[in-house]
Amino acid sequence: MTIDATMVGRSYSAAAEPYQVGREKIREFAEAIGDPNPAYRGNDPIAPPTFAFVLSARALDLLLADPDLGLRLDRIVHGAQKFNYVRPIKAGDEVTATATITTVRKAGDVEVIMYETVLSTVDGEHLATSTATVSHNRPSSQNGESA
Amino acid sequence: MTAVEVGAELPSLTVTVRRDTLVRYAGASGDFNPIHYSDRMAVAIGLPGVIAHGMLTMAQAIRVVTDWLDDPADLLEYGVRFTKPVVVPDDDKGATVTFSAKVEKVADGKAEIDITAIADEQKVLGRAKAVVRVS
Repeated sequence: MTIDATMVGRSYSAAAEPYQVGREKIREFAEAIGDPNPAYRGNDPIAPPTFAFVLSARALDLLLADPDLGLRLDRIVHGAQKFNYVRPIKAGDEVTATATITTVRKAGDVEVIMYETVLSTVDGEHLATSTATVSHNRPSSQNGESA
Repeated sequence: MTAVEVGAELPSLTVTVRRDTLVRYAGASGDFNPIHYSDRMAVAIGLPGVIAHGMLTMAQAIRVVTDWLDDPADLLEYGVRFTKPVVVPDDDKGATVTFSAKVEKVADGKAEIDITAIADEQKVLGRAKAVVRVS
């Protein structure tokens, strides 16, 4: 159980479980980040930019649960995050997320994994792409050939 | 759309992050990693104590840009590196994070904005950059 460059290209689709974005969820999220912007409230709100990360979570959960990767949540650090937006996410959108591993680098016991999550509506409209870099510090006993 | 010149500084923003802020963010985001509410769990992985969700700091930082834009829908790209954790003590004062931003480039109807995030006199985000649509 380890991770290497052969894992690049592995894809995790949460398409079976689209996320329906609701007006009140957007408001709750805006309140939680302390953002009073009126664009995130009212009858026809858009979501705050980083809400895209919440939408990517179902695909990330599948990646984290892949037994071939053997990742441990308590050993993962979120190193970098980027979003590219096609249009804002709005209340009423039904969003699917597909995460794909794009880079794997190793430095000793630390594995640096970059993955890209494409967010689209169930009708196939591309909304945003999230790119995340995480570091996973694998326990040495679990690592490699001697195990 | 917002008009802009290279070198322009955006109004800065200071936020206070307390333990209840983290509890609320955990609930709204679904990120229930215990290092964001349990000192015991945070210390167990080598942190000084409970830290803020990096995604919360990222969400707060972009307000410097979206508060300044006429319409937050004009945000096209936004990326950060999480360079230092924001440690949130279990008291009424919490942690204070100050965000500032400066326009670095304007071309082809887009502006590149660099964002700085400081907590406890240290940068907590690296290479924090937004690209926005401008007139």
